[in-house]
Amino acid sequence: MTIRSEKLRTVLRFAIPFVLIPVLAVLGETVFDEKKHLFVSLAVAVLSLILFYTGFEQKKIGTRRMVIVAVMVALSGAGRFIPLFKPVAAITVITAIWLGGEAGFLVGSLSALLFNFYFGQGPWTPFQMLAWGIIGLVAGFLAEPLKKSRIALVVYGVGAGIAYSFIMDVWTVLGHYYTFNLDLYFAALATAVPYTVTYAVSNAFFLWLMAKPFGEKLARVKIKYGV
Amino acid sequence: MRALEDLNPITAAVYFLAVSGIAMFSMNPVLLVISLAGAVLFFLVRNGSRSAASHLWMFGLFLLLFLVNPLFSHNGATVLFVLNDNPVTLEATVYGAAASVMVVSVLYWFRSFTQIMTSDKLLYLFGSLSPKLALVMSMGLRYVPLFSRQASKIGQAQTALGLYKDDNLVDRFRGGVRIFSVLVTWALENGIVTADSMAARGFGCGRRSRFSIFRFTSADFLVLTVTLLLFASAAVSLGSGALLFTYYPSIKPPDPTPLALSGCISYGLLALLPSILEAEEKIRWTCLKLKI
Repeated sequence: MTIRSEKLRTVLRFAIPFVLIPVLAVLGETVFDEKKHLFVSLAVAVLSLILFYTGFEQKKIGTRRMVIVAVMVALSGAGRFIPLFKPVAAITVITAIWLGGEAGFLVGSLSALLFNFYFGQGPWTPFQMLAWGIIGLVAGFLAEPLKKSRIALVVYGVGAGIAYSFIMDVWTVLGHYYTFNLDLYFAALATAVPYTVTYAVSNAFFLWLMAKPFGEKLARVKIKYGV
Repeated sequence: MRALEDLNPITAAVYFLAVSGIAMFSMNPVLLVISLAGAVLFFLVRNGSRSAASHLWMFGLFLLLFLVNPLFSHNGATVLFVLNDNPVTLEATVYGAAASVMVVSVLYWFRSFTQIMTSDKLLYLFGSLSPKLALVMSMGLRYVPLFSRQASKIGQAQTALGLYKDDNLVDRFRGGVRIFSVLVTWALENGIVTADSMAARGFGCGRRSRFSIFRFTSADFLVLTVTLLLFASAAVSLGSGALLFTYYPSIKPPDPTPLALSGCISYGLLALLPSILEAEEKIRWTCLKLKI
């Protein structure tokens, strides 16, 4: 079942971002009426995930690095069982800072996908994967300043919590009402304020608490084994 | 014939995509009610009267979604009444009802999806997209029980060392942090050992092959074909606009053309398909048991 031909995989890698996503976006604007925004956004989310994963498949990645990513996925996913305060985003950010944005994206998106088997899969899964993935990816780009200052890290955590809520509320509105309407979006954001606060607080708390010891452990493994 | 649960993951995944895709794509109330009925029936056939509380929760969600739309959306020509200077329209109310039926039906489909598409089946599907990713995922899943077992071992070792952690809340928290810290170090080192052992056995040399216990049988072929045919028929009626139900500015149901009817009938059959498979299997079991 695997897509065996290298050529086909390369074609897919380029066709998805440069052909499929624009075509879908244009179709969403013109052919489909506004009720299909949900469908279009879902398709774009899934395609960007596929794009990222095919990139991962093609890269030569060391076995050690791959296993470390799996370890981090398991740790952050297990953290989702903590009631109310979830360390997923924090562990994603820490992984991204020390192992790079790509590893961060994988940890964020896979802990959403895998552990939704316990918490319930749904049309929101791709959005959740993308939201946590992007939090990791961006943290990878900002790795240097985030490594240096604990304050910056906490600020990033709070920002990531708010951003996560903003992204997921796009899904709330689209998934429930099909059309995207700013009034409904703001209403969704307002009702989600307690959750947003929980995300921001738990991100800040876990980053403040774990960034240093966790970072030291990752840095140690990185130096010792050259991951 | 086997139940959907025992069929190949590809068949089951295609089925769920088709049935929930049509429900998400259409706002025709007839299709949405069919989808809700099919989804709830399938869930009940599989789970019986268990989890009654979750049905209540779903009903509460339905009411909430139903009420929010007319309060926020003021489109529509027929004003029912005016609330705080904002008109509440018939059209927005009906649209809210349809949208909440859609959401609840999709949620019911996904509840069955979560029960049927267990993680091993998802790994099988993902393996065809990216074997490397599927490996990371299955390792991640495998590590959860491993880590929880290791965490309790570390806890016991700490207790044996005299580091108790049940005096008070602060103490418990600090003990938990200590165990977690040890666990992380151990997990990373253990991961490296695993990776080295994999590399020593030639991981990464040549193409990856996978083992799977799923076969694609004639029953799969049959169910997959029926699913795709019914889906295509419903999609054609949807795409041609024969099922277009206009809500705004005023409600206008589509004409009952043959195309619209065929779309509804095929979607109805599609929504009932898994319940039929399940019921057929149950009946056959009962017959076999009676013979004994």
